[in-house]
Amino acid sequence: MSASALLPVPVLLPLGVATFLLVFAHSLPSRLSTVVAILTATIGGLICAFLAHAALDGPVLHWFGGWTPASSGRPGVVLGISFLADPASAAVAAFAALLFAAALLFTWSYFDEALSHFEILMLLFLAGITGFCLTHDLFNLFVWFELMSVAAFSLTAYPLGKSSLEGAFNFTITNAFGSYMMLAGVGLIYARTGTLDFTQMGRVVAAAGSDPVLSGGFCLIAAALLTKAAIVPFHMWLADAHAVAPSPVSVIFSGIMVSVALFALAKLVAQVFIRDAEVMALVRILLLWLGAATALVGGAMAFAQRHLKRLLAFSTIAHLGIMLIGIAAVTPTGFGGFVLYLFGHGLIKATLFMIAGIVLAVCASGDEIGLYGKGRSIWPAGVVMAIAGLLLGGLPVGLLHNATESLASRSPTTAVVITLATALTGAAVLRAGARIFFGCSGAPGVEITAPTARQHEKNNRGLALMLTPCVALLAVAVIPGWLVMPFLGTAGARLIDPFGAGGPPMPMPPFSVVTFAPIAMTLVLVLFALLRERPTRPLARKLFRLELLPFRGMQFLHSGLVGDYVAWMLIGVAALAGFLTR
Amino acid sequence: MTVTWRLGLFAISLAVLVPALWHVAMALPAFGAPTEMYGAAVNAIIPAARHITNMVAAVNFDVRGFDTLGEECILVAAVTGTCVLLRGARGEDLTAEAGHLPDRPHVERSDAVVLVCRIGATVLLLFGVYMALHGTATPGGGFQGGVIAASSLMLIYLGEGYSPWRHVMHSWFLGALEGGGAFIFVAAAAIPLMLGYAVLQNILPYGQPKDLFAGGLMVVANFAVGLSVAGSFGQLMLEFMEETRSPEDDPIPDEED
Amino acid sequence: MSVFPWLVAAWLLGIGLYGIITSRHYVHLIGCLSVLQSGTYVLLLGIGYKWGAGPPIFYDHPAGTPAVDPIVQALVLTDIVVGAAVTALLLVIALQVHKRRGSLDPQELRPLRPDN
Repeated sequence: MSASALLPVPVLLPLGVATFLLVFAHSLPSRLSTVVAILTATIGGLICAFLAHAALDGPVLHWFGGWTPASSGRPGVVLGISFLADPASAAVAAFAALLFAAALLFTWSYFDEALSHFEILMLLFLAGITGFCLTHDLFNLFVWFELMSVAAFSLTAYPLGKSSLEGAFNFTITNAFGSYMMLAGVGLIYARTGTLDFTQMGRVVAAAGSDPVLSGGFCLIAAALLTKAAIVPFHMWLADAHAVAPSPVSVIFSGIMVSVALFALAKLVAQVFIRDAEVMALVRILLLWLGAATALVGGAMAFAQRHLKRLLAFSTIAHLGIMLIGIAAVTPTGFGGFVLYLFGHGLIKATLFMIAGIVLAVCASGDEIGLYGKGRSIWPAGVVMAIAGLLLGGLPVGLLHNATESLASRSPTTAVVITLATALTGAAVLRAGARIFFGCSGAPGVEITAPTARQHEKNNRGLALMLTPCVALLAVAVIPGWLVMPFLGTAGARLIDPFGAGGPPMPMPPFSVVTFAPIAMTLVLVLFALLRERPTRPLARKLFRLELLPFRGMQFLHSGLVGDYVAWMLIGVAALAGFLTR
Repeated sequence: MTVTWRLGLFAISLAVLVPALWHVAMALPAFGAPTEMYGAAVNAIIPAARHITNMVAAVNFDVRGFDTLGEECILVAAVTGTCVLLRGARGEDLTAEAGHLPDRPHVERSDAVVLVCRIGATVLLLFGVYMALHGTATPGGGFQGGVIAASSLMLIYLGEGYSPWRHVMHSWFLGALEGGGAFIFVAAAAIPLMLGYAVLQNILPYGQPKDLFAGGLMVVANFAVGLSVAGSFGQLMLEFMEETRSPEDDPIPDEED
Repeated sequence: MSVFPWLVAAWLLGIGLYGIITSRHYVHLIGCLSVLQSGTYVLLLGIGYKWGAGPPIFYDHPAGTPAVDPIVQALVLTDIVVGAAVTALLLVIALQVHKRRGSLDPQELRPLRPDN
């Protein structure tokens, strides 16, 4: 089969398997459906990897229904929907399949009931993410966005606990508001350009230049994608949803779902709006600032949490901010760094959420202060968590480190922001791990005021089975960066211009203070957290109260009330619109 | 944050958004201006190319049929999620007892209601099937017809009562209908691929315009969508009706706090 | 008044958002989300309209009579299905929340705060 014929298979295969499983859902044993789902994800991933390799020479195109641009008989009118695989898109889709296979392996005998609905929802989720990466049509992008969202809503509420339901409700309302904004944006762009295909749209935008309708449409679509990618001020739903979803689902959320929204934003900006001066100014300036703000807010909030999954959720927000800084550059090296960061962060965060799932299963709580020392019996998980935390905090090994260096080398300000955010999140994870698994800790700091609850996940799997996917993902995460630099150079260039020539291999970032600053700062923060003593003297107590104040303010803003979230999202839309009409 | 503060934030956003919206509204093409090239091309090309008369169905099942496949799967995902969330707490055993609130009087169903519901349900089911099958010729199609056919199930409940209705409605049948319809659509998309064409390419003979079976592969897609939507909405009704059972039957699983 | 349909769409979006922000009941909130959705329908259908054109169904008229844009109508159809699906899911979540908390007031229901 040619590459073009293989292109729709990674989407059609999970859809077909999911619907087939639904027909026989009542009579299928649960283990069989898990095995089938893992196989489907693996096959889809292998096909995407093959396509990524084939796309290095030129993009792979597939026109659905046979409606190629020539078949309309009119120049400039594209009737059909197309899938276009450039190296980056196919690689991201393959990465999604890898994470799904790992998460499904982690769910082996996770659920009590015999019906295979969980696997059906996960396969539909995978099909949505794959289609989202590969599509070249704006409304098709919206359809896969919706499929991703609806599957995610259902999976978040799965445990049926009180918190899960409310977290799922907040998630659904905020993201549904986002998708209606996206639909309005699609309508506006269709009104101005008369087409829904990216290439054709890019040509029309290049000819038309800046236009209020185009800017308005971009503003709305960007607001929707930034909501899914949890950028400040659209970010508040993520902590609620990730903290209460079942651990395998949180793995997918943090590992790929939120980053792929940024990936789509990057694609849209590069392939459609690159010649629209106003939109590019918005991207280069405002999105850079929003990314920096997100990185710092996420890092600070992560350090101030005590519930393990909520901590990891805020650390995801921080890293998404760093990724947005990479996108705001709109250069081939910036995009290459972003894709590498996506892979590195996704692998490590997936590992950490699986460890959190292990802790929830064995110790029946996710609260790092309540679990002080209780994880000693599962110390191998603690070792894995320590390694993952060090990698997250900037250990100079592996993919994430090279990506961080590459993104930070843009300018001194971005270097400072990225170093700070990386250190805060890495230190938070290491502190939590030290408390839970090794029983060493100082007096609790600001995290004592964070929200938490007892939670429990089913535990009847062996520790070795649960740790296997974690170790496998970490092994991929420590691959040296120079192995993938040639691929990334072409991937970044082709993401901006799919039909152009490939690019040179991405340059390895030079040795500088940025190489060691994050890990040094991480270790400093961890030692500070683990060695502090309770404030007894009046001056120390005053300082502690002063330290609590900004964190109390931020905790208050992240209130858990959906009305607040929507109000802040509107402020974000107003910020985007205000920048464009200044 | 109290509601007042939120309204303050809302007012600030409106202060920026309203002028921006006005700016965009002024720049949009005037209402009623000639259609975009995309739509005009579809209107011009499709009647001769596919021998059908309903352009919206052509866009939905042929030109942009892949979107509709995705949308069908969205519906399947949502209804699967609904079933999981409702059944998860309740369990799956069949019960014939209708729910009964303690202080409501129990009124016997009158013969007029039973008669009207029996006639109405039959007519509605036939109408739904008619709507679904004629999708390529007249306004309608799989989605619309499927929902109408599913609503006839509701009339059956109204006319016959909970016990007989529950004995006829089986969740596994509706689930198979839903999954089977979606699977037929995916197969209709994949088979042209396996034969060497593009996905969802219209390889069946097109037939005569205004005929019931005009449109080639669109007829298959329409039929599949009709089955699946009828199954989905029937499943939704079933699950919501099950929620009206006596509250003491619902076990709440062990959970935190 | 050729900007009137766009203003109607904007008004529906605004009033839906106001409802969500000030809502005191989950079901009311879900209804406001539907109002938001209707705003997008009005926008899309308004974009496709053409003066003096009929529906894009050529059963009674010959092919080639002026017709409005069928693309946006197909987009709105997809959107309606998606909206119905999301509304069903939200109502189910609201049902389960009511069973466990006994309240449906968004002002009181927050995840991960056990004393609530």
